[in-house]
Amino acid sequence: MSRLSAALVLASAGALLFGQGIYIHAKAMLAQVLLERAFAETISTGRVVKPWPWADTWPEARIRVKRIGASAIALAGSSGQALAFGPGHVERTADAGERGVAVYAAHRDTHFRFLKDVAIGDEIDVTRHDGKTFRYRADGSSIVRFDQSGIDPFTTGHELALTTCWPFDAIAHGPMRYVLHATMISPANPMQPYSPP
Amino acid sequence: MMVGYGIAAWPFLAAKYRLYQRWRTLTALIGLAALLIAALPFAGGARAATVAQPGDARSGSLILKTEGEGYVDAVRLGIDVDVTVSGPTLRARVTQVFRNTTKDWVEGIYVYPLPDGGAVDTLKMVIGDRVVVGDIKERQQARVVYEQAKQNGQKAALTEQERPNIFTNSVANIGPGETVLVQIEYQEPVHRSVDQFSLRIPMVVGPRYNPAPVVQTVDLRASDNGWGTATSDPVPDRDRISPPVLDPKDHAPVNPTTISIRLQAGFPLGDVKSHFHNVKIDSPDRSTRVITLATPAQPSGEGQGEGADRDFELTWTAAAEKAPSVGLFREQVAGSDYLLAYVTPPAVNDAEQKPLPREVIFVIDNSGSMGGTSIVQAKASLLYALGRLQPNDRFNVIRFDHTMDMLFADVVPADSGHLAQAKDFVTALQAQGGTEMIPPMRAALTDHNADGNTVRQVVFLTDGCIGNEQQLFDTITSMRGRSRVFMVGIGSAPNTYLMTRAAELGRGTFTHIGSAEQVESRMRELFGKLESPAVTQLSVTFSDTKADMTPVALPDLYRGEPLVLAAKLGKLAGTIDIKGRIGDRPWSVTLPLANAAEGKGLSKLWARRKITDAEVAQTIRTLTADEANKTILALALEHQLVTRLTSLVAVDKTVTRPAGEPLKVSELPLNLPAGWDFEKVFGERPKLGPAAPAIERRAEERDGRVRIAARGVSPVVSAGSQAGQGVVLPTTATDAEWKMIVGAMLMAFAVVLLACRRRRVFG
Repeated sequence: MSRLSAALVLASAGALLFGQGIYIHAKAMLAQVLLERAFAETISTGRVVKPWPWADTWPEARIRVKRIGASAIALAGSSGQALAFGPGHVERTADAGERGVAVYAAHRDTHFRFLKDVAIGDEIDVTRHDGKTFRYRADGSSIVRFDQSGIDPFTTGHELALTTCWPFDAIAHGPMRYVLHATMISPANPMQPYSPP
Repeated sequence: MMVGYGIAAWPFLAAKYRLYQRWRTLTALIGLAALLIAALPFAGGARAATVAQPGDARSGSLILKTEGEGYVDAVRLGIDVDVTVSGPTLRARVTQVFRNTTKDWVEGIYVYPLPDGGAVDTLKMVIGDRVVVGDIKERQQARVVYEQAKQNGQKAALTEQERPNIFTNSVANIGPGETVLVQIEYQEPVHRSVDQFSLRIPMVVGPRYNPAPVVQTVDLRASDNGWGTATSDPVPDRDRISPPVLDPKDHAPVNPTTISIRLQAGFPLGDVKSHFHNVKIDSPDRSTRVITLATPAQPSGEGQGEGADRDFELTWTAAAEKAPSVGLFREQVAGSDYLLAYVTPPAVNDAEQKPLPREVIFVIDNSGSMGGTSIVQAKASLLYALGRLQPNDRFNVIRFDHTMDMLFADVVPADSGHLAQAKDFVTALQAQGGTEMIPPMRAALTDHNADGNTVRQVVFLTDGCIGNEQQLFDTITSMRGRSRVFMVGIGSAPNTYLMTRAAELGRGTFTHIGSAEQVESRMRELFGKLESPAVTQLSVTFSDTKADMTPVALPDLYRGEPLVLAAKLGKLAGTIDIKGRIGDRPWSVTLPLANAAEGKGLSKLWARRKITDAEVAQTIRTLTADEANKTILALALEHQLVTRLTSLVAVDKTVTRPAGEPLKVSELPLNLPAGWDFEKVFGERPKLGPAAPAIERRAEERDGRVRIAARGVSPVVSAGSQAGQGVVLPTTATDAEWKMIVGAMLMAFAVVLLACRRRRVFG
C-alpha cells in the first residue's frame, strides 16, 4: 500500500506539473486563434475589439515572417498577462510604421519560438490595426541584458525590434534577452497619418 | 531449508525493508515538494497580477538606475522652500538646485508637487551670476521655445502643470560640473477649519494608479445633436505624472529639502505646530513667528523624524479665545480693486434637538498604495466612525481596490449586530491591488430612496493616488443626487487636488489624516461637521458696486468652515451683505468695504479661483470645453499664471553647449511617500544589478552574435523618455518547459516505482 501511495503521489504531482505546462502552451495557442478573429474585426470595423469579454488588452498588430511561415498577433502592453496570450508591444515604444523603434516581446517557448530561425536579411511584415502593412528587413541581432538593451526609443529611423529570452533552450528565467533588429524597407515614404484606436 | 534460507535472509530483508521505508517517505516528500514548488509560481503569478502597476513599473522606468550606495553619478537635486505668510495669503519661493556631477551635458526633468490651491506666477533661472526671468506663454508655444533653445545649446527652463498639484520643471543644457538654480514662486490662500489655520507644503507625488485604457468613454452631449467624442484613455498623460520613485530599502535618500516660513498672521498667535517634522520656532513678536526645519529634511526609514518623503503641515491658532471670524482684505492691481473676504458663520448648538437620522455610506480604499501605515490609519478612522453612529442611523460599508465588495446590499440600521459585522469586516481588510475608484463611487451614490428627506452622506477614505481624476469628478457630478460626499485623505502624501475638487463637486468637505495621532481628533472634527446642520442657501450681494465674484456657486458650509470670497470690484465702496440659513434659522452679516485691510497677491488668487470655477463648470457641463479653455487661457495670460494651458519658459541668450555634443536626459526621482510599502505598490521588483551611469550606446561593448548596424547619434528628446540604457525588456520566458519536464520525470518515477513493486512481488 505504501509503495502504491507513494507512486500515486508522484504520479499526481507529475501530472499536475505536466498539465500546467501543457496549459500554458494551450492557452497561448487558443488565444492566438481568438486574437486572429478579433484582429480581423478590428481592421474591418476600425474599432478596438476585445478578443474575449474579460480581456484587458487588445490585438494591435500582426507580425509575420513569410519565409518560415510564422505569424503572431501582438497585443497592446507587455505585462505578464498579455504575454501569456501573444507578443506584447512594449509600452512607450513607437507603433509599427511610425518614426522610432517598435519593440515587440514574446515568450521564447511559445509565440516567439520562431525567432531563432529568422536570419539576417529575412523580411518581416507587420500589419497595424488600421490595416496598413509595413515591411522590415532583419539587419542585426544581439544578446543583451534586459535593462541594457541599447534600444534607443528616440531613433530617427523607422525600426523594429523583436525580443525574447536568451538562451533559447534554457529552462530557467535569466536576465539576458535576444533582440532581432530590423529596418523598414517599404512603404518607401511612411508618412501616412496615424489614427489612434 | 526454505525456512533456513528465510531466517538467514531476514536481517538482510529487514534492512532492505527499512531502507525501502525511508526511500518511500523520501519520494513522497519529493513529490510533495515538487507540488509546492509548482504551485508557487502559480500563486505568486496570480498575486502579482492583482498588484497595482501604477505608471509603468514593469519596464523599470519608475526605478531610477543608480549605483548601490545612492546617487553618485547623475544630476543631484537640492530644494529650498521659503514661505512668507501675510494675513490671509502666503507667498512661497521654491528653489531647486540642479547639480550635474557627470561629464556629460544633461537635461534634468523633475516632477514635483505643489499645493493644489497655489497659483504659480514666476520662474527664474539662475546660472552663475546671471538671472533669467521666465515668461508666461501658451503651453504648446512654450514647449516649442524650450525645445528650440535646447537644440541650439542654450540653457532653458520650462515649468508646466500636469495637474493642479503636479508640476514639471525641465532644465536643458546643464554642462558637466555645472549647477543651475530654478526658482518658482506661487501664491496660496491660508486654509482655515474651525479655529485652526494651516498651510501645507507637499514634498512627494504618490505614485498614481492609472487604469489601463481599455474601455472607451463616450462624451455625448444633448447640445451637440448626437455627435460626441470617444476618449479611449482615462489617463492620456500618464507618463507625465509618473516620475521615477526610489525604493527606500535600496537607495539612499534624495532631494534634501530645507524649509523656512515667516508667519505674520495679522493677529496674536497662540499655538503654532508642525505636525510631521521637527522645527525650530522663533518669536520676534506676538503675531510673528519664524519657523525653520531643525535639520535639512531627509527621508527616514520608517517615517520617524523629518522627511522629504511626507508633506509638511503647519497649523496655528489665535491667542485670543476665539479666532477672528471675519477677515476683509483688498488690493489694487493695474487699476482694478480686488477683494478677499473670509466669513465664518457661528456654530449653532442645537443641543436640545436630537440629531436627525442619517444615511451614511462609508467607502474605504484598500489598494496597494495604502499599504504600510495608511491602511492602519484608514481602518482606525473607519472604526471610530462606526462607533459614532446612532441607532436610528442607517449605514453601509464598501471596500475597494481594483475589485469591490459591499458589506450589505443596501443601507441597514446601525444596530449592534450590523455594527459588529461591519467592525469585523473592516478589521480584516488588507492593502493590496490597484485603485479603481469609479465603481465604488457609483455604488455609494446609488440611492434607492432618492425622494427621502433624510440626510445622505458618503464618507470616502482614500489616498487618492489615481491618474483618472476627471472620470471621478464626472461620476460625482452626474450621480450625486441628494448625497453629500466627504473625502478623507489618508497618508503622508494624499492627492489633495482630487480630494478638494471631489468634495467641492459633492458638496461636502475634505479632511486630511496624516498620522495615527491625528485620527481621533480629525475624525471627531469631521463628525462634528457631519452631525451639525450645514449653512445653506448662501447668497452674497454688493450694495454699491459691480463685482465679479468667485466662487460663482456658493457652497454649503459645514461647522467651522469659512466662506472665502474673492471678487474683482468696480469700485471700493459700500458693503457686502451675506445671507444664509443655519439649519432652519436665518443668518446674515454685513461687511463694510471701507474697512478692508491691505492684502497681497489677491488678484492672482482671484484669477486662480476663477480658473477653478471654469474647470468645475466644464465638469458639470455648464460650459463647453472650448469656452472653458478660452476663459482659462485669457485669465492665465492676463495674470501670468501657470495652468494646464499655459507654461513659464526661461531661455538664456548665450549658447553654451558646443555643437555636436549629445544631451543626456536625467529624470530625477522622488522618494516614496513615508509609510508606503514599496513592494505593495510596485509588486515584483525587477532585479537590477549595479547599473552603469547613463552612457551612450556603443555597439562594440555588447557580446552580440551580430553587431547592430550603427545608427547615428540622435539628440535625445525630453519628458517621458528614459536615459541612454535603452528600452527595458520584459521577462519573456514561461515555466512551461520546466514544468513539463519535471512533471514527466515525476510520472516516470511513479511508473518505475509501480514496476519495481510488481517485479518484487514476482521476484
